[in-house]
Amino acid sequence: MVATAAGIVGTQPAHDDGTVPDLLDLHRSGQLVEHYPAVQGLLSDLSEEQLLRAGRLLARVDPAEVLARHPGITALTIAVVGHGTLAGLVPPLTAELARHGLLARLHLGAFGSYVADLADPASDLYAARPDLVLCLLGPDLIWSEVTAPWRPDDVDRIWAEKLALLEGLARHFEDVGHGVLVLNTTPLTRTHTAQLVDHASRARLGAVWREANARLLGLAEQHPALVVVDTDPLLAGGIPARDTRMSLYAKAHLSAELLAAYAREIGHLARAVTGRTRKTLVLDLDGTVWGGVLGDDGIDGIEIGETYRGEAFRTFQQVVRQLGSQGVLLAAVSKNDAETVHDVLAHHADMVLRESDLVRVVANWHPKHDNLRELATDLNLGVDSLVFADDSPYERGLVRREVPEVAVVALDDEPARHVEALLADGWFDVRVLTEEDHERPARYRAEADRRGFLHSFDSLDGYLRELGVRVLLAPATDSQVNRISQITLRTNQFNLTGERLQPAAVAARTRDPESLVLGIRCSDRFGDNGLAGAVLAYREDDTVHIDNFLLSCRVFSRGIEQACLSAVLRHARDTGADAVVGTYRETPRNGKVRDFYPRAGFVPVGAPTAQGAVFRHDLTEILPPPDHVALAVQLAGGETP
Amino acid sequence: MKTVDDLVTIIRDEIGLPVTPADAELPLPDVIGWDSVHLLALCVILERETARPISLPDVLEAPTLKAIYEVAVSTGQS
Repeated sequence: MVATAAGIVGTQPAHDDGTVPDLLDLHRSGQLVEHYPAVQGLLSDLSEEQLLRAGRLLARVDPAEVLARHPGITALTIAVVGHGTLAGLVPPLTAELARHGLLARLHLGAFGSYVADLADPASDLYAARPDLVLCLLGPDLIWSEVTAPWRPDDVDRIWAEKLALLEGLARHFEDVGHGVLVLNTTPLTRTHTAQLVDHASRARLGAVWREANARLLGLAEQHPALVVVDTDPLLAGGIPARDTRMSLYAKAHLSAELLAAYAREIGHLARAVTGRTRKTLVLDLDGTVWGGVLGDDGIDGIEIGETYRGEAFRTFQQVVRQLGSQGVLLAAVSKNDAETVHDVLAHHADMVLRESDLVRVVANWHPKHDNLRELATDLNLGVDSLVFADDSPYERGLVRREVPEVAVVALDDEPARHVEALLADGWFDVRVLTEEDHERPARYRAEADRRGFLHSFDSLDGYLRELGVRVLLAPATDSQVNRISQITLRTNQFNLTGERLQPAAVAARTRDPESLVLGIRCSDRFGDNGLAGAVLAYREDDTVHIDNFLLSCRVFSRGIEQACLSAVLRHARDTGADAVVGTYRETPRNGKVRDFYPRAGFVPVGAPTAQGAVFRHDLTEILPPPDHVALAVQLAGGETP
Repeated sequence: MKTVDDLVTIIRDEIGLPVTPADAELPLPDVIGWDSVHLLALCVILERETARPISLPDVLEAPTLKAIYEVAVSTGQS
């Protein structure tokens, strides 16, 4: 059985001789649709070329058939438009999404029609309601309009026109579309710079081109629905920007290698917009964080610091720490004695990573897959939010087999390559970073203190009374829009409907007078939990509809959710509503909140449908907030204790 | 790649189209599932298989799978 990130379980097909068939076998036998949930596992270890080939075969599969056979798979509608031939992006994009357990429903724009597609609200593009719109830009966007003889100023003028056009399209997209628009910077190749024989003009062309790309990147700052993929760092990895024959004969202006690298970035963007960003980096220690074997070499014998290899490990630690500073939870799982590991982390002078950087250090002799499962439970996260990096093929293979939901980063015995291997996939990519992200590791460490505190009580009630939970429920401010969006994207367990909202969608709700976007802030004796939840509702006549209710997994089961729901019900009654209606839509991870509404006195309205189960509260008897919660509510027409 | 049947197998396994040797001499638009965009991927695959550069314009102008095969095996031999 193979469990995918989408939580779907697919039967791994098997040959009569017991070996597992690969993707080509499934294609040849016409079983790709039937065994689609197993595809993710088959793609996890492929080379770039094998992945591309898999993508070509997968692109032949009809997504509608896959969805009909496996309704639980998460499908993403992606429109691809742009300048030139776009078909080359289909196989890598299909493969990258499949790698993440996502099904790509692709809509390809007609050749050269991107302006009409994006500008016309009645276009097929908008009719398809794409989650992502990729507007692929190649150098020919500019060069197709440059005729000889030309000078850098001509290029500057054409770029200015294109940038104005692209910004107009982005603005229009925000008004009309509902998803994310993706643009990209476009490379300048020597076949153009070398057409200028004087160095001054070449330098000027280089400046013009880069200023234009920089302005393109800058557009994302003003347009929340826009993402601009920077192709320069992808190219700097050493791949060609274009294939001149393909560009000339087939109007395919970006190289297959660049499209593959671009598709990988889009795969991680797709993870982010569907709430699949990974949250925790779990590191092996020996051979991963330092060189050598701690148990054999001792604290003074491991490689870290001033030696050649020691420098490489230290550089890797710096990068890990950098990820940790942006809200990625860091943990260690190592086959070692706990005391020795503690000794290194606390006392080795050359270590960059310290115990305070890690939310958990698990050093014992248990199998790593068991430790990873326990770690996830301990952090109240799913194993599908873990990324595990190890230099041992044995340990990696075992983790892949036992916990296929964990993303595995393959390091080898060359520590200089560790950083590249770790960053090859954007497992932790998010749309925007919020203040909460910087605070997250400290909050998870405080959670460990809370658990220690819990164990000192006989009953949960006694614990909760002493915890001193304080909650503020108030309308979201502009500065909280990104965080509220992030809560909808990151929260899987306490998420009543699984609906994800991009920042632009949250901002639109905060501007709508009939809509309520409430943020839940909470704190306790161990510290501030920050903005940890949200209630999204709207009012229609005398009924308040709760679209979604979300709470971070760090803080639920402390009465916060009951207190906030009680406050929303009282606010509805006090402002003249006669009912509150809420919906629960089951997702692979939100089973524990199935009874959230009934427990608060809501009654089911009709039988559950594919849209979810609807519950209604008539506001006659509203359960008070739990005694141990100090609740403050700031709502117009509501109370403000 | 020794015969046109090998090309048919490559198209089945690499591009995923359900072609058979009987399709080799059909005009390309009559081959089920055929689209000119497959030609680009096919050119790259054929260059890899034959380890020789192939004339893209000749492949793009070829009317049948058999003609594509002939371009692929003849290129570089003249």
